[in-house]
Amino acid sequence: MKENRKYRYWLCCIRGIGNKTKRMLVNYCGSAKEIYDLKREQLLNIKGIKEKEADLIIEGKCSWDLEKEADHLSALGISMVTIEDEIFPSRLLELPDCPYGLFYIGKLPETEERLAAVVGARRCSSYGKNVAEQLGRRFASAGIGVVSGMAAGIDSFGHWGAIHGNGKTYAILGCGIDICYPQGAKELYHKIAEQGAVISEYPPGREPVAWQFPARNRLISAFCDIIIVVEAKKRSGSLITADFALEQGKEIYAVPGRLDDALSYGCNRLIAQGAGIVTSIDDLFLELGITDCLDGRQSEKRKNLLEKEELLVYSCFDLHTKNIEELVQMTDLPAAKVADILMRLCSAGWIEESFKNYYSKK
Amino acid sequence: MYSIVTTAIVYGLESRCIRVEADVSNGLPVFEMVGFLSSEVKEAKERVRTALHNCGYTLPAKRITINLFPANVKKSGTGFDLPIAVAILAALGEIEKNALEETLIAGEISLSGQVQPVQGVLPIVAMAKEQGIKRCILPYVNLTEAKLIDGVTIWGVKNLLELTAYLKGKTYIEKEPIYIEETEQNSKKEDFSDINGQETVKRACEVAVAGRHNFLMIGPPGSGKTMIAQRIPGILPPMTKEEQLEISKIYSICGMLPQTGTLLQKRPFRSPHHTISINGLAGGGMIPKPGEISLAHKGVLFLDELPEYKKSTLEVMRQPMEDREIVLVRQAGAYRYPADFMLVAAMNPCNCGYYPDRNKCNCREADIRRYLGRISKPLLDRIDICIESPLICYDDLTKRKEKNEPSAQIRERVMAAVSRQQERFRGTGILYNSEIPSKDMETYCHLGEKQKKYMKEMYQKLELSVRGYYKILKVARTIADLDGTEEIEIRHLNEAVCYRILDKKYWE
Repeated sequence: MKENRKYRYWLCCIRGIGNKTKRMLVNYCGSAKEIYDLKREQLLNIKGIKEKEADLIIEGKCSWDLEKEADHLSALGISMVTIEDEIFPSRLLELPDCPYGLFYIGKLPETEERLAAVVGARRCSSYGKNVAEQLGRRFASAGIGVVSGMAAGIDSFGHWGAIHGNGKTYAILGCGIDICYPQGAKELYHKIAEQGAVISEYPPGREPVAWQFPARNRLISAFCDIIIVVEAKKRSGSLITADFALEQGKEIYAVPGRLDDALSYGCNRLIAQGAGIVTSIDDLFLELGITDCLDGRQSEKRKNLLEKEELLVYSCFDLHTKNIEELVQMTDLPAAKVADILMRLCSAGWIEESFKNYYSKK
Repeated sequence: MYSIVTTAIVYGLESRCIRVEADVSNGLPVFEMVGFLSSEVKEAKERVRTALHNCGYTLPAKRITINLFPANVKKSGTGFDLPIAVAILAALGEIEKNALEETLIAGEISLSGQVQPVQGVLPIVAMAKEQGIKRCILPYVNLTEAKLIDGVTIWGVKNLLELTAYLKGKTYIEKEPIYIEETEQNSKKEDFSDINGQETVKRACEVAVAGRHNFLMIGPPGSGKTMIAQRIPGILPPMTKEEQLEISKIYSICGMLPQTGTLLQKRPFRSPHHTISINGLAGGGMIPKPGEISLAHKGVLFLDELPEYKKSTLEVMRQPMEDREIVLVRQAGAYRYPADFMLVAAMNPCNCGYYPDRNKCNCREADIRRYLGRISKPLLDRIDICIESPLICYDDLTKRKEKNEPSAQIRERVMAAVSRQQERFRGTGILYNSEIPSKDMETYCHLGEKQKKYMKEMYQKLELSVRGYYKILKVARTIADLDGTEEIEIRHLNEAVCYRILDKKYWE
């Protein structure tokens, strides 16, 4: 078994050979070691192997030090799993171009574990941020793992929500597993590895290249049971994920937005095309058959604790961010008073400042 | 034959007496000028000779020597033409020497003998008064400015011949100085009641002015940042006579004093474009002229589009902002210009200006951080109050104007807060809350037990820096002063926290 690992790693790392071909080779030969031992003529005898591919495999052998590379992989602390392994996530096997191997740091999801993908725009609004975070948190409390792509914006807020809710979360990367992309997400990267796994089909060291990202989206949708698109513009990577999910027969939900919000166009379009609509997280949970952890009436409870003027200000908050000036206009209170109340609510942890003098409900 | 005439040069904001000696004696015919002269003063020789000739005076074929002393002071400026001409005429015996006693003369002359205006008349006359000089003879155009100082007789002359006639005994007839009424555009009253909506920005503005805190507005284009900044001088307390004189002097040496016949009444509002150079901002040149920070003395320096300014340019403001003056050292000496201004800055939140409205703003997070990071940290450290000014909505736009509070009302509250501060800081040299040094924080910004506990929570929650914490206390002090209470209460602290500078996470 241990012996086979180095051959498998070698097979994973060969570039220019498609996932389908690799899988076919493994099925044909039995194991990666057998493939390694094949001669060029033998390879060419296999139906479906072209001369170019045979060359790549032979060349790949020459420039590859089996022992050294395998040691290097272990030294990086990266785990590898291939389709031959028992623990290879079975949900991926249905994919026609199922990756031959996966690299990961952390712990892969169980076979029966329920997983939901929270995806959306990188440059999201704070409305999207709120929704993504809340979804992450609520899924965590319902014991559902959150899958996403660790990109900036919605993806990372979904992950963070799950992390704050002490739930499981899995990030599928579009680059080498040892590369943290975006660079600023270092903290998130480590947290995800602790509370789930960072997963990639690309071997360590693979640079983030544009085409790899849409490709990894098929894994996001394949991993999860349902997918929720939080915010997406007209052209968005999240819509690609949704397309994959459709092909794979997963349930798709979209968070609706206002007509004139460019960031909600993609979502509203999805709904028009038949995706489920997230009218509220409680409603979503009811639809999914999760009844044991509804939000209840938290806002109502809070409202009872507030003074009259505080209540006036707090009632102005919905899922959208409010500027302090808007609140002054809405409540007709003096600016100084509103500033005071806002800070009181902030310190109570009921609202937060998302940007200078912009506030949103927590 | 020998004669001596008194004139003056402007040196920084002050003026110094200079004597012009002329001697006409036998020898080879030559016109010599000595006394550490800059090139424009050396050129006076040609102007004076031709002007005298054109006025009908022929210079004799003798040795004419002019000396300007004290010789260790660099003589620059064009005001020496007239005194040199008069000194020569006196040496030639055309003018009685005793007619020149206790008289200061300054002016430029053209080849035809017309007297041209000079810059810096106000400090010159002020100095003459201090020195006990009874009479100043100045270009007619400068008469308006010179008359601002009383107690000195001022003669305004139009040409050389007119002057010689007076000096020969003809009685001087008072001339009416030129007054140029303020144009409508200048006198246009800018009032806070013109601004609809933006109540929070107005309030923050009031607090900033009351404690003389430097002020930063962040907001999308067209949200009225400039409009608000322009109205700030209107809610600053009125200037005292000394302040008026000081600021008028600065404008006088720059030749920018309007000829209204009064000292500057309105506090200055300067808004230099972001392409300004270091010299333009701080003051500069061989003989340094005041820069924008000095022209904004006792008023408002408004820097629009703050991140667009060159970092190096803004860095030069650091020291003047501490010392409230700038010292420019040149070969000829150190020039000291006051620079006690309130800094008001405005900026967009990102390149396109619409962040955090993600439907309009397509900037990447990294770009936004880079944009905000362009502002010099040390400058940011000196800004106490920061507020976001959002785009105003239609309802505000169409609101009836009468509902808005006029500047006069705001100013009254500001002045009450200012007088509370004066009371508190009497004898300490501090004028405003923003100047409280960190060692005296406990004395002036004392917090009760409850407040201390609250601020401790806030300190941890908001991850404040020590500097940020002190800024909040100072602003809270001002808010309490506006409120008329001696104790800083939690609501004051809360409001101050709301105005704190943008969180650290955005600046990196």
